[in-house]
Amino acid sequence: MSKRIRNIESDEEENYIYWKIKKLKKQARRSRRARKGRHGCRAAPPADDATDADCSNKKASQQTAPKDKLEDPEILEILGAAPAIDIKYNGTFDYDLAVIGGGSGGLACAKEAVNHGAKVAVLDYVTPSPLGTKWGLGGTCVNVGCIPKKLMHQAALLGESIHEAVSYGWEVPSPKDIKINWSSLTEAVQNHIKSVNWVTRVDLRDKKIEYINGLGEFKDAHTIIATLKNGSKKELTAKNIVIAVGGRPHYPDIPGALEYCISSDDIFSLGYPPGKTLVVGAGYIGLECAGFLNSLGYSATVLVRSVPLRGFDQQMAHLVTAEMEERGVRFHHKCVPLSVEKLESGQLKARWQNTDTGEQCEDVFDTVLMATGRYALTKALNLPAAGVTQNLCSRSGDIPRTTVFTPLEYGCVGLSEETAIARLGEDAVEVYHAYYKPTEFFIPQRNIRNCYLKAVAERAPPQRVLGLHFVGPVAGEVIQGFAAAIKCGLTMEQLMNTVGIHPTVAEEFTRLNITKRSGKDPNPASCCS
Amino acid sequence: MFARNITNVFVRNSFLGQSSKLYRNISITTVNHDIVKIQSTDDFKEKVINSKVPVVVDFFATWCNPCRLLTPRLESIISENKGKVILAKVDIDEQTDLALDYEVSSVPVLIAMKDGKVQHRLVGLQDTDKLRKWIEQFTNEESKAKVKA
Repeated sequence: MSKRIRNIESDEEENYIYWKIKKLKKQARRSRRARKGRHGCRAAPPADDATDADCSNKKASQQTAPKDKLEDPEILEILGAAPAIDIKYNGTFDYDLAVIGGGSGGLACAKEAVNHGAKVAVLDYVTPSPLGTKWGLGGTCVNVGCIPKKLMHQAALLGESIHEAVSYGWEVPSPKDIKINWSSLTEAVQNHIKSVNWVTRVDLRDKKIEYINGLGEFKDAHTIIATLKNGSKKELTAKNIVIAVGGRPHYPDIPGALEYCISSDDIFSLGYPPGKTLVVGAGYIGLECAGFLNSLGYSATVLVRSVPLRGFDQQMAHLVTAEMEERGVRFHHKCVPLSVEKLESGQLKARWQNTDTGEQCEDVFDTVLMATGRYALTKALNLPAAGVTQNLCSRSGDIPRTTVFTPLEYGCVGLSEETAIARLGEDAVEVYHAYYKPTEFFIPQRNIRNCYLKAVAERAPPQRVLGLHFVGPVAGEVIQGFAAAIKCGLTMEQLMNTVGIHPTVAEEFTRLNITKRSGKDPNPASCCS
Repeated sequence: MFARNITNVFVRNSFLGQSSKLYRNISITTVNHDIVKIQSTDDFKEKVINSKVPVVVDFFATWCNPCRLLTPRLESIISENKGKVILAKVDIDEQTDLALDYEVSSVPVLIAMKDGKVQHRLVGLQDTDKLRKWIEQFTNEESKAKVKA
């Protein structure tokens, strides 16, 4: 499985499936190892395994991998083998596995399955956004998620760097006139995406995975009806079916939302500069969009319904928004949108209400971007036909780790301070924290007020680390390695005994020594400020 | 598709704009029927597979920078050859099945074809001299083959 695919930024469903595959693989490895121990060699598949009998000979002849691989019951488990095979299929299916959804999760699953010798089809189809935006193969992350987001964030950082360069001695002619060319930016971003779409397509061909550009729905537990681009329908049967349809942006039910507003589906290919933008929602998508738009020179205002980055460590979330505010992003807290109407000028008048005070406000914007959550695309699948009941549950098992690419990035792995305290009790949790000064911030006199990190650990020795949190530059790069360390059972003692690489921002983790409980000042020594 | 088309159109316009400028620079009289853009699989059959003259098929993508650099070099050499060889341009995003049939993975890919059969294959950006040599060699092979027959 390509490690590149792993990214928590892609939507929940894809991630869930990815995690599930990983977990099943791990289980399979573990029990295979156990069996190996018992038999002293790679175990042959049990001859009486009911699920194995259904692989038709027709398919077996097309398989490139050894037959025993396909019949390995553990592999079938990885593929999510259907519990009972319907008698009417008589053991013949078009495919061993059909995956509905060609995103991170679906593609990883399909590739893993062909590696084990299965005959696989992937269905992928993009229903246009309300504005009409469509895209190619590869799912949310590649087309309208992490990839274009990271590229636009990078564009924003580069713009800031031009100004910082002046402090470092670069002679930049009229830095004040520097501005972004929106269409050049979107063209470059979209070109990159299209190249990834193509590489994905070639990869499927090379791996002999059939790609069907159609919208899949269930006819029964083993039959999918794919509606193709031209409206024609194609039926296919598969022994196993994986649902990896991902999600799409949710639009609040207010006048003008669907007619005039855009979402993250549209922003990365928007055919005109967004101008003054209202971002509705302060989750990571809302904050990231507001962050890069502001840095690119477009005024950004954010409506926060409850708290920013709900579910994340709130102390860190406030540092992120504080930094954004200091850079000029406007925040309206406890506000929900009421309506969006189009003015004769073509601009949009948005109205919102403060849910605490009841006060109503309005302002005129060029663009209104909805970032009020995402919903799973499972409704259109006709799940009851397959006998599937939906059960919305949260992921568990793996350690959450992510980075929010706001102007000052926020990277974290493990538990938030709130969650740790809720689970263990305040007395059992120790929090080490520090403000720090990135070396590269001094010369351009960049704001260091929000550069902060903390480690949430068990209080009792050896003080196992439960969570690490970092606000600052390249937070994702900083956190990735520590995520591995936490997975290995990192303790505070080990962290403190680690020699830092100087001068980096990541080394600040090895220098943590002040606990919140001590009440000592977490600010670094300063010469002048 | 809407937004994608916008960028597509934008890219292609600027792209074609460049090449039309180029035609003008080289020869005003050369009409570009030596250079065709393939519109469908049938179109490919008609203009490439059934072509009486040798064909260089240029599998390209609008998002591919080396392709953009290759285009003017290729077109100028084709124009030099005055009808001895045809250039068929295939946009891999529009004619994906064709590209996959000819096992195109990274672009640009040049395929030299005569009588519907692939003779040579050249992958990646090439300098003008190499390109000219490759095309001349291929078209000369063709004429030799004719003499022999």
